[in-house]
Amino acid sequence: MNYVTQRLLTFPLILLGVSVLVFFSIRLIPGDAITAMLGTEAGLLTPAQRASLANYFGIDQPVWTQYARWLGGLFHGDLGISVTYGKPVLGVILERFPLTLELALLSVIIALAVGIPAGVYAATHNERASDLGVRLFAMLGQSTPSFVFGLLIIYVMSVYFGVIPALGTFTPIWVDPLANLSQLIFPAITLGFAFAASVTRISRSAMLDVLSDDYVRTARSKGVKARRVIWHHALPNALIPVVTLSGVEFGYLLGGAVIVEQIYALPGIGRLVLDAITQRDYALVEGAVLFIAFNFLIVNLLVDLCYVALDPRIRLGGR
Amino acid sequence: MHWTHPKTLLAGLAVVTLLGTASFALPSQAATLRMAWSQDATGLDPHKQTAFSSLRLLEMIYEPLVWLDKDLNVAPAIAKNWEFSPDGLTLTFKLDPAAKFSTGAQVTSDDVKASFNRILDEATAAAARSNFLSIKSIDTPDPETVVFNLSQPDAPILVAMASVNAAIVPAAEITAGSIGTKAIGSGPFKLDEWDPNSKDVLTANPSWAGGKPGVDGVTISVLPDETAILASLRAGQTDFALLNDPLVATLVPNEPSLQLNRVPGLAYNALQLNPSRKPMDNLMVRQAISCAVNRQEVIDTAQVGEGQVTGPLTMPAYASDPSTLFCYKQDVDKAKDLMKQAGMADGFSATVIAATGEPPYASAEAQVLQSQLAAIGIRLDIKLMELNVYVDAWLKGDFDMAVALNGGRPDPYPMYNRYFTKDGNLLKVSNFTDDELDSDLQQGRAETDVAKRKVIFQKFEAHLAEMSPWIWLSTSYSYTAQQKTVKGFEPSATGDMHSIGKVTVGS
Amino acid sequence: MRILVALIRHPSGRIGALIIALYLVVAVLGAFGITPHNALKQFPIDRLKPPSGTYWFGTDLLGRDTASRLMLGIGQSFVIAFASVALATLAGTIIGLLAAWWSGVWDGVLMRLMDVFLAFPAILLALLIIAIVGPGTFTSVAAIAIVYTPIFARVVRGPALSLKQRDFVDAARTFGSSQWFVLTRHLLLNLVAPLTVQITLALAWALLTEAGLSFLGLGTQPPAPSLGVMLADSKNLMQHAPWLMLFPGLTIMLGILGFNLTGDALRDILDPRTQRRSA
Repeated sequence: MNYVTQRLLTFPLILLGVSVLVFFSIRLIPGDAITAMLGTEAGLLTPAQRASLANYFGIDQPVWTQYARWLGGLFHGDLGISVTYGKPVLGVILERFPLTLELALLSVIIALAVGIPAGVYAATHNERASDLGVRLFAMLGQSTPSFVFGLLIIYVMSVYFGVIPALGTFTPIWVDPLANLSQLIFPAITLGFAFAASVTRISRSAMLDVLSDDYVRTARSKGVKARRVIWHHALPNALIPVVTLSGVEFGYLLGGAVIVEQIYALPGIGRLVLDAITQRDYALVEGAVLFIAFNFLIVNLLVDLCYVALDPRIRLGGR
Repeated sequence: MHWTHPKTLLAGLAVVTLLGTASFALPSQAATLRMAWSQDATGLDPHKQTAFSSLRLLEMIYEPLVWLDKDLNVAPAIAKNWEFSPDGLTLTFKLDPAAKFSTGAQVTSDDVKASFNRILDEATAAAARSNFLSIKSIDTPDPETVVFNLSQPDAPILVAMASVNAAIVPAAEITAGSIGTKAIGSGPFKLDEWDPNSKDVLTANPSWAGGKPGVDGVTISVLPDETAILASLRAGQTDFALLNDPLVATLVPNEPSLQLNRVPGLAYNALQLNPSRKPMDNLMVRQAISCAVNRQEVIDTAQVGEGQVTGPLTMPAYASDPSTLFCYKQDVDKAKDLMKQAGMADGFSATVIAATGEPPYASAEAQVLQSQLAAIGIRLDIKLMELNVYVDAWLKGDFDMAVALNGGRPDPYPMYNRYFTKDGNLLKVSNFTDDELDSDLQQGRAETDVAKRKVIFQKFEAHLAEMSPWIWLSTSYSYTAQQKTVKGFEPSATGDMHSIGKVTVGS
Repeated sequence: MRILVALIRHPSGRIGALIIALYLVVAVLGAFGITPHNALKQFPIDRLKPPSGTYWFGTDLLGRDTASRLMLGIGQSFVIAFASVALATLAGTIIGLLAAWWSGVWDGVLMRLMDVFLAFPAILLALLIIAIVGPGTFTSVAAIAIVYTPIFARVVRGPALSLKQRDFVDAARTFGSSQWFVLTRHLLLNLVAPLTVQITLALAWALLTEAGLSFLGLGTQPPAPSLGVMLADSKNLMQHAPWLMLFPGLTIMLGILGFNLTGDALRDILDPRTQRRSA
């Protein structure tokens, strides 16, 4: 398909743009890896000591040389070495990725599992009290800052239930599924809560649109049962915007949920980048941002393709 | 199909609750200490790393020649005894024959010599090097004796050696170049696993000279949010934690199963002025600021009372009573008078920089000071910045005023020579020195008699407070929180963790 | 305007508009200093007091009245939200229109540039901008605006593109109307609906992001309050003084609720399909 090849060709261009943006913007932040490591003690360094550290951190070269070298490495799939971890950047990122991937998936699944039924329910009971109740609940979800919600969960759990999710550890799902899910369930609920609200509203609104469409009315007038109409005819069509929105949200969550990861102490990609910026681990920041951007672009492309496939009525580019 | 059916909803809720409590069911492993802190080490090289969070980890793995005990006196570690020569130019150590690295190899004088040479080598970029510049040469007459030959009498050098930044590392590892990657020390624990900013796993060092450590291993979780650490302690998931924020620490005693240890630290909170910028180049303006500030109120408000008013010296052995220092009792009238004398009756505007979260009360502190100084017409503009950005500005001396938490030492000379002697490394930061301060510090350095040193340094302190290049405010506490079943930990004023080897986890 | 009237008639739109109007009044009062106490004045003796007759919403760590700070905080957060979204709308509309108008290579270049900013993780982009320039009101506004501009560009480009392809331009010419007049009028009509919806979504997002950035220590500079800063400061005081989290939290939630309700109502009003449904 010409459209796909066109989109794929622009991938490297966009990634190149992201690489330039991240490479130069982190170097614009005052402070470097030396001050990150030594803090105020960095003032005690002699020029020779400072030169030795600058060489070790790879920051003694002129900026463009550093960029050229890094770019060259990129073409070999080498994202450089992280000075914080002492290991190749790509390896560090891939170690953290399963958690972020799983958390994103879980959050979207929870949001859909709660949001779609809620939206359908609200739509079929349109303008009654239950409809307003669901919408209010959805509003609450969208308006609560994630860190407030997350902290409240931890606090309430620890004070009133005496237990909290295991903080600061991550057991991969293939090692111990139960432990893994117990670690991620509350972060996923925190993230999913806000998105569930969007899903509710979108499904409700889409459902309402579809229910008033002519062919649905025709089906009803022909005697098809209401429930059948809803689940077999209306819902699949109403789901199209939900699918695309979920895709976008999933792509966004793949970039790591910085705040939720901080609160629940999850070793995910969001926290990885935040810590890397704080410690001025340039290679790690660059590599991680590129990785996140790449995932986002791929997911977006898939979402756009789904969108086109599901609804041929949509014209490409003329949204 | 019936997704909104009550039974299905309840079932879903049950599943969620079950999953949520699954992790709780794990009992603590036999004799593993589960620790938590909010900041992780930034590297494993004990000579290079200076961040407190790094030192706390490395103190469990490495040992220096000597440590400081809880009264801040020098106590044996790898060295079992030591002696200065009468002229003060030689310092001899006798090593403990039982001291061994985790590989089983004995710690010899060659290791000591190699370690100190490494510190002195500029290529290592060891910040502590500036403490050891008086070392001319090191002799190793036998495997258990080390002789340091000094170029001048240097009493503080012994105290400077009581730090993991002067840790003794294996000479073989230095040659192999593996110091920052492998952590082979002679301390109570060895490092099995280090996942930066996430988790540290340590196991007992079987060759430790102190015998068998009280626990078989230590697992450290890095939890960036301290309220989450508190929740973790409360839920019994963590045995022992280091805390920075007084707001969180003061909640620990409310929990029946937890215990809070608070020790006044050596680090001090100060409002650093920049005497190279007008109008703070005027002594009377600086003194006015010192008189306008209510130090106790800063502590009571910003630090919720968790701190003590202090002068420039924070170590009990040398500190004067703060009430004897210049203008330590708030006197707004005197402050206004001084401002008028300086021709600044209408006050002036200035910017004060502070680092976000370092210390946790920095922002509150800046706001209290802003309010107090407004009373004498000084309009402060607060600039909160990320720590690293703050450090960058601080090192360049690029500020009007700065809210600072500076590290203290048990000895006044290494604590202040960098700021207030004529050739101090950080003169760019302090922008202040005079003959009296310089000579007092140098005199104190050379003097070995403790009583005489105290007189010299108290004179130094009084003069420094009167010159007010900075406004010294308070010391704060270093906090550790533990389950009441954890025993054996000795909190220290320097915050160091070397007593971790004696800690046990009861049942 | 007609839209405003329709908004007030709409059941939930009425509530949304009411909330926003209320907040605007409070913000203006706060800006002019008409608050129960001076929002910046510290009363150390009364620090961390629970709500009472003197201090309606209690006091904070430095003894400042929460109610007064909230009034100022609403103003501050609203200023940041409105300014950043206005900036993003302006920049995004211009870019979207240019891309649609020029088409071809330049369209590609502009939209790929927008894609670069879209692919860059949002929080990190805001973080980097703030880290480089230094935190403050202006920086927060700029950071949020930069993150949201590409979205507006995309929203505008679509209708603008489809407009170019219509034949009615020639038809209108036949009737004597100028090309520009016709284009502009149709363009605006087609843009108003998606833009208004997107704007209300962006306003809600801006409020939440301001709170998130303050949580990470990158928000408004002290002592000026903003809803985000008040929430972030309340975090470690949750057990000492829960009112410090409760009131700012409720205020943010209510504010976002207002934006969302208004946004939904506007979508209902401006979407022709919904008008058909309610007929």
